[in-house]
Amino acid sequence: MTFTKSANSAPPKDLLQETLLQGTLLQGTLDLLILKTLALQPMHGWGVAQRIQQVSKEAFQIGQGSLYPALHRLEYRGLIQSEWAASENNRRAKFYSLTAAGSARLAEELAQWDRMVAAIGLVLGEAVA
Amino acid sequence: MKLREILSRASFFFGRRSASDLNEEIQFHLDRAIAANLAAGMTQWEARRCALVEFGGVEQAREETYRQRPSWFFETLLQDARYAMRGFGRNPAFTLTVIATLALGIGATTAVFSVVDRILFRALPYADADHLVSVGVVQSLEKQEFMLGGFYYEWRDNQKPFVGMAAESTNPYACNLVESNPSQLNCVHFQADFLPLLGIAPALGRNFLPEEDRPNGPSVALISYGLWKSHFGLDRSVLDRQIDVDGTPARVIGVLPEGFELPTLQDADVFFPLALIPAAQQAAQNGGIGQPMRAFARLRPGLSIAQATAQMEPLFRHTQEAFIPAPIRRDFHLSIRSLRDRQTADVQLAAWVLLGSAAAVLLIACANVVGLTIARVAAREREFAVRSALGASRLRLVSQSLTEALSLSCAGAAAGLALATGLLRIFVAMAPTGIPFLEKARIDLRIAGFAVLLALASGVVIGLIPVWQRPRSLAFAARGVAGFAVGFSKHGLRRLIVAGQIAISMILLSGAALLFRSFQNMEQQNLGMDAGGVLTVRLALPGFHDAPVAGMVSRSGPSHAEIYARTEAAMRRLPGVRAVGWSESLPPGGGFQNARRFADFAVEGQAPPEPGSGGAVRYRGVTPDYFRALRIPIVRGRNFTDEERDSKLQFIILSRLAAGRMFAGKNPIGQRIRTGTDGTWVTVVGVAENVRNGGLADPDLPEVYWLRRNVPADWGMPVPMLVVSTELPTKTTAGWIRAQMAQIAPTVPIKIDTLAGQVGKLADRPRFETALLGFFALTGLAMAVVGLYGLTSYLALQRTREIGVRMALGASRFAILRWMALEGSRMILLGGAVGLCAALALTQYLRSLLFSIGPRDPATFVGVGLLLGLAALLATLIPARAAMRVDPAVALRSE
Repeated sequence: MTFTKSANSAPPKDLLQETLLQGTLLQGTLDLLILKTLALQPMHGWGVAQRIQQVSKEAFQIGQGSLYPALHRLEYRGLIQSEWAASENNRRAKFYSLTAAGSARLAEELAQWDRMVAAIGLVLGEAVA
Repeated sequence: MKLREILSRASFFFGRRSASDLNEEIQFHLDRAIAANLAAGMTQWEARRCALVEFGGVEQAREETYRQRPSWFFETLLQDARYAMRGFGRNPAFTLTVIATLALGIGATTAVFSVVDRILFRALPYADADHLVSVGVVQSLEKQEFMLGGFYYEWRDNQKPFVGMAAESTNPYACNLVESNPSQLNCVHFQADFLPLLGIAPALGRNFLPEEDRPNGPSVALISYGLWKSHFGLDRSVLDRQIDVDGTPARVIGVLPEGFELPTLQDADVFFPLALIPAAQQAAQNGGIGQPMRAFARLRPGLSIAQATAQMEPLFRHTQEAFIPAPIRRDFHLSIRSLRDRQTADVQLAAWVLLGSAAAVLLIACANVVGLTIARVAAREREFAVRSALGASRLRLVSQSLTEALSLSCAGAAAGLALATGLLRIFVAMAPTGIPFLEKARIDLRIAGFAVLLALASGVVIGLIPVWQRPRSLAFAARGVAGFAVGFSKHGLRRLIVAGQIAISMILLSGAALLFRSFQNMEQQNLGMDAGGVLTVRLALPGFHDAPVAGMVSRSGPSHAEIYARTEAAMRRLPGVRAVGWSESLPPGGGFQNARRFADFAVEGQAPPEPGSGGAVRYRGVTPDYFRALRIPIVRGRNFTDEERDSKLQFIILSRLAAGRMFAGKNPIGQRIRTGTDGTWVTVVGVAENVRNGGLADPDLPEVYWLRRNVPADWGMPVPMLVVSTELPTKTTAGWIRAQMAQIAPTVPIKIDTLAGQVGKLADRPRFETALLGFFALTGLAMAVVGLYGLTSYLALQRTREIGVRMALGASRFAILRWMALEGSRMILLGGAVGLCAALALTQYLRSLLFSIGPRDPATFVGVGLLLGLAALLATLIPARAAMRVDPAVALRSE
């Protein structure tokens, strides 16, 4: 899975941050971003990639290829579902949408994310926005 | 919703989703990216390039996505398995060798496991059996825990370490079911809370009620499942039926479950309440000691046996002081053992030894297979290099190797299970009485599961070791360069494995050789008597046991004295019969043999022996012909005479050991001894040569022979049996004896055995252990030697060119041979030395299995070392000799 920080993002401050960014957090984070994106509306892979890049203000640049394994994994786990439909330019595209299980998971993940951010903030001794 | 989720997952699993779907999805993504780039003003070519760069590896993404499929793992497995099968098909010799080797190892281990499982591992057939213990006292004449009514209730009511305690009668006794077809059964008594203590509920009906477990209570009985099946055809109406046992009617109130066994492992068909009154037991009964019984208890949770023993110590002390007569007080000890130890303590060591040696054989087998696989992997190095170059990860290659190894080991386990079934039959045929539970050993699911576990474990070993090391330089391997360049380390590993095999063989061989020599010693020892041509005849007279039972008194015995006299006279008239004597038991052992305490014999005119000292004395009631029948020489004084059989006085003969102990070199003839507590004086008339009387392996006991006179009192206890010595074939005489008995007592069943057969049976267990360990040791040796041979030939083949160069440079053929042999010797010496040290350390544990041979017997170890060294040297010299004959010209051109 390639999920690289873009060149203009700040270098990691210390070991803890580095670990969080490169460790197990990353894969989970991509899943979380996908779920969050699909929570708004059903979308195809290209759309998901664009959306993540826009929303993160280009801070994260996904190796777009790594999006598809993640999408398929989530689908196999029953968190999202897919169907083929006509896209904006009337071409056949595969649209992903959140399942009930996916929504539940998203809420859970978000709560956990908040807790973690708060905890990291405490550890680092500063408020992390 | 859950169901839908499962269904959708299942559809991913089974359904084949076309790869084109994914392709279309990715294509859509790229097209959109290109369109976006074009819109941003890039050229067609640049837009496409940027889109591809942003996407990353298209093929990688496709692979990675494909890998997310839930069924990916199984698809890979299937692919690997198919590939493995093709490989095996191309190389059937390798495949068959590996499967056969593994089958031998797994089969032997599984068969032995099925035999020792019940002894060592399998839960006893009671609820929470780990907490059940046998409680009681032991003394020199009875090494199994027992209790007496006189103190049982005090213990039961005041103990703290147990949740509950219950007792059964000491021994089942023969009883007759008087029905339309009378049959002799075994009956036993136990308390009403005995079954609940074990956690056993009757399969049909109910357990005894407290009011039934009382003297003169309602006459009720439980029957065994076996009796219910054989006698009542599993008819449920057996409940409440009246059965007649030994003339007393009893109502059947329940049937015990199938496979129920008494904690003492004795056979029993009919169970009665023990029916004791505590007060009466504590008062004078049975000469003031109360009913003897076997007590069992359930430990409180978390309590160890040592803690329980410590907690019971005060009660035992009190019993010792208040109950046991002072002279024998110190001979009694408290004993609490787990039920498993009570049942199998004496065979656990042998069981571990057998299981260990079988496992050692499996280890050697695995080592051989690893050696073969390493050679195969080396030959396939090029294939691995190519696959690696095409992008197979190391994990993928290892999983391929594991798949191959596991399919081989599972095939080996299947063949091994078949082999184990056969081996088990052989074991049972070899030693029906040698090992407890042997006849009940079955290959069931549990055993099959064990075989599968073995297969998995050996599969992992075989699959991982050959690919443990990183493949050497890919380019190198791909070019197929061999010869000089073959990595040393891989062969180093094989050398270590072969040395390990030799070490294990050394251990196995030493153990087997020690057991074999011990067995030989046992077989060839002087028993002090001649078992040849001796027959024993047991009469199952009414009220008697068909087998001698510890210390049982026959109430009706005295009235049978006349039948005994007529029987003896009839036997004497038979042609070819040398001697007809009576005894109740015969040396060297194997069944009940009566014994007394040494301290019970007081010699007239000497201070009585220190109470509780001197251990046990064999005590046998015989007639004059006993010594003639067994050819036991009288070394001093004389034999009993026929006149003495009519005397009012009592006479004894001492064994040489007993005479020495009691009279310390003085002449015992004519001296008088007071035996037991009844105060009668008996006269010593002779001294007989010592006879092995403590079994084949245990030390001899001093022996006292008392004369069975023609008075009824002498024929009641213990139950006598006839000892007939014949000069004709024993079969002929046995036929005549039957004919005679048919006339004298036509209704009495008789049992005729040869003494030689009984002595042979005593050696059943050592014979079984020796044969098995010997078989394993030789199998292990054979496999180790084959492994060594294989490695040497392989090395020789690999080095054909090196040999050629050496010869071309002037090395003589002999030098080549020496070079190869030296290399082999290094492995042999290393393995042999390690094995020798391990064997010297391990054979210590065999000590209790060995008879008159030390666990470090030098001759045995030298012999084993020589045998192993010789076999191993041959295994190196033969292929080395072949290497020596290589034509240098051919060898140089071999690549």
